[in-house]
Amino acid sequence: MRIGLLRDLSRSAFRRPVTERYPFEKRPAPPNYRGKLHWTAEGCTGCNLCVKDCPAEAIDFFILDKANKQFIFRYHIDRCTFCGQCAFNCRFNCITLANEEWELACGDRDAFIVTYGRPEDIARLDLATESAAIPESAG
Amino acid sequence: MALDLLNLLFFPAGLGLIGAGLLYQWADRKLLARFQNRLGPRWFQPFADALKLLGKEEIHPAGSSPVLFAFLPVLALSGALTAALYVPLFGLAPVFSFPGDLIVTLYLMSLLTLCIGLAGAQTRDRFSLAGALRVFTQMFAYEAPFILALLTPAVALRLAGQPGSWQISELATAAAGRPWFLLLLPITFVVALVGLMGKLELPPFDAPEAETEIVAGALTEYSGRGLALFSLARAVELVVGLTLVTALYLGGVGSGPLAAVLFTAKTVGLLLVIVVLQTLLARLRIDQTVNLWWRIGSVLVLAQWLLLILYQVLR
Amino acid sequence: MNASASDRFVIPIGPQHPALKEPGHFEFTVEGETVIDATVRLGYAHRGIEKGAEGRNWTQSLYLLERICGICSHIHSTAYVVGVEQMAEVEVPARAQAIRETIAELERIHSHMLWLGVAAHDAGFDSLFMYTWRDRETVMDLLEAISGNRVHYSANSLGGVKFDLSDETAAAILKGIDFLEERTRHYREVVSQDAFFLQRTRGVGTMTRQEALQLGVVGPTARASGVARDVRIDSPYIAYNEFPAHIQLLSAGDLEARFLVRIDEMLDCYRLIRELLARMPAGELAAKRMPRKLKPGEVISRVEAPRGELFYYIRSTGGEQPDRVKVRTPTLCNMGSVLTQTIGHNLADVPMILVGIDPCFSCNDRAVSVRRAGRAEGQPWSWADLRRYGIDFYRRQMGLETHALAKG
Repeated sequence: MRIGLLRDLSRSAFRRPVTERYPFEKRPAPPNYRGKLHWTAEGCTGCNLCVKDCPAEAIDFFILDKANKQFIFRYHIDRCTFCGQCAFNCRFNCITLANEEWELACGDRDAFIVTYGRPEDIARLDLATESAAIPESAG
Repeated sequence: MALDLLNLLFFPAGLGLIGAGLLYQWADRKLLARFQNRLGPRWFQPFADALKLLGKEEIHPAGSSPVLFAFLPVLALSGALTAALYVPLFGLAPVFSFPGDLIVTLYLMSLLTLCIGLAGAQTRDRFSLAGALRVFTQMFAYEAPFILALLTPAVALRLAGQPGSWQISELATAAAGRPWFLLLLPITFVVALVGLMGKLELPPFDAPEAETEIVAGALTEYSGRGLALFSLARAVELVVGLTLVTALYLGGVGSGPLAAVLFTAKTVGLLLVIVVLQTLLARLRIDQTVNLWWRIGSVLVLAQWLLLILYQVLR
Repeated sequence: MNASASDRFVIPIGPQHPALKEPGHFEFTVEGETVIDATVRLGYAHRGIEKGAEGRNWTQSLYLLERICGICSHIHSTAYVVGVEQMAEVEVPARAQAIRETIAELERIHSHMLWLGVAAHDAGFDSLFMYTWRDRETVMDLLEAISGNRVHYSANSLGGVKFDLSDETAAAILKGIDFLEERTRHYREVVSQDAFFLQRTRGVGTMTRQEALQLGVVGPTARASGVARDVRIDSPYIAYNEFPAHIQLLSAGDLEARFLVRIDEMLDCYRLIRELLARMPAGELAAKRMPRKLKPGEVISRVEAPRGELFYYIRSTGGEQPDRVKVRTPTLCNMGSVLTQTIGHNLADVPMILVGIDPCFSCNDRAVSVRRAGRAEGQPWSWADLRRYGIDFYRRQMGLETHALAKG
């Protein structure tokens, strides 16, 4: 009568368990890992391809002044599926997905909306959306 | 009198026994986990589980008798705790002892299984009914060889010319002065050990509570306090079963504190063997279990008895 | 053990049951411990994905369809892009196809290893479950290093793939595969020789070749009964012309054969991945231009998911959004065989037979067609009728007026 796992068992009895004792032990994420989104204004032309192809409508893009490249990129972390299509679409490498920021749990709803852009633009945006003066180009 | 009460309620029986049972359960789970290359729970996990269950709401299913539903877990735990009074727990002298208490202990151990089966049979839930059917079927399968295997040392001692006794404390002391019955009666030791796994419904004999087939078997409808009492009864039964097999087969009970520690270590060693068997083997179907016991178990016990008688006749 | 005829009752398995990882409802009529009848009801995990694809553009639908299933996500997205690229008449570079195939084979390994653990758990063999899932972490880590996520790799884009396989990654894959191959060979031994496990699998749930053809089963379930069907070989897609798979066929048709076929497929995957990495074609990662609006047309694409043949029908009416996407998953074909195979077996064998087809309930939930009273029997609603019914349902709920319902 053959018993298959006898050798495995005897070896495991003397080995350290494979369990990773998170959060006391944290392995680094691989460099390609798709975590939280980051946007830089440098190079952005306001083409909106990232907004159009996002399957979860996680990006709200506000064009304050296209000629002077005043844009605001609002990102909803809780809607994002981390697929990476926006980063793939952007021809100017404005969007990157961080590989170390993946512990995104939070108890507070407001933390899930991240607004990227210049501070003065963001202030203008907050004033204007209250009076609905700026068109929002969501997907 | 006060000492008796202390023994009965706190140590070695009563609360101390329940605590020890939960610790043995922890050892079982931890060793199982380590054999599977994972971490396993911390020492207080079974205590936390029992406390949590005691605090949960109990839902009474429609169609079952409320008296039986509430009473059976209590009966199961009391049966297990009473059976513990006659065995040498942790190598100390049994709390009470009288001639014939081996038979009484064996019946009290079966009381737990009966209660589980009845608990499943008196509800209307299909999973409980299927589980109860399996509990009783399995009991009919292993009970006879298991009991015979536990009675064999007494019979062997009688045949060897010692004064006959069915009293556990006397058997244990007699066994201490001889080479281990494990060596003299190896076949029935194996039957007793495997029978213990059947009684405790440990894999590979856990068909009555096969989680992936019938949810939780006979105890499906239990939650809260009833389930806590049943699981405490199981924990106590683990200790009692291990102690009984050790006392009879692994060299009995000596005198003095060192012998008590050695005895406890032997029970833990037996637990280790049980855990290895648990980890290695896949679950048997209920009909395969019955086949195994009726064909192989009984034959083995009878073979051992024949050998014993032959040995005496030839001497 | 055998009870009288009055002892028959119906045991429900699901929608919530420890044997099922996803909801489905089975009712087994048992007499004592023997099953005499079985029925199934699906639909608990229906999410309206096919309908959802109509409201999203071609790229967004790619990600929606990838999330039909977590275990076979890449193959769903591959089936979709193969169909769309065919409709758009876009040529995909060879390197992209080879990378797609590599990830598909890695996913097959991951899926079969997951299944091996789950099947062992259903047999009560928890140790094998723990060991196979420990080893599965190797392939999950590899996929995470390649694609950036452990499931839902999002490797495909319309026209190619989104990322490349660097040399370091290729070396890591080869190292991981060496380890996995040694473990898989060990599991093959365990499954075919462990005495207790064989008692649960040998001779259980036997399906002859004739029955398999009649019931229309696909995938490893069919190949275990001697039916030589494998879409990778019958109609090769992506890079299977240059890097073909070898069919794994057994004729016993019982549970043990299904175990062995899947393990042998894993071993073939290792061989295929090594070949792919050794002769990976150089080139671009994606086609130069993928139109955002596709010309009108319809296409069928068939691929071999880990569970069997996956079938997509995609229709375009010239817009930015698909007009209709129809998905037929392999579990839907295999589900009927569970009902016939369990009859005559013990109740204890039922979870094993169910898990033997490798069920994926979230893949196979489709909308149930409702027959309207008055219509001739056997005529389901047309698509237009169903849409109108759905719209009117909600308009009624909101208190708006509804369309006059069309001819009955």
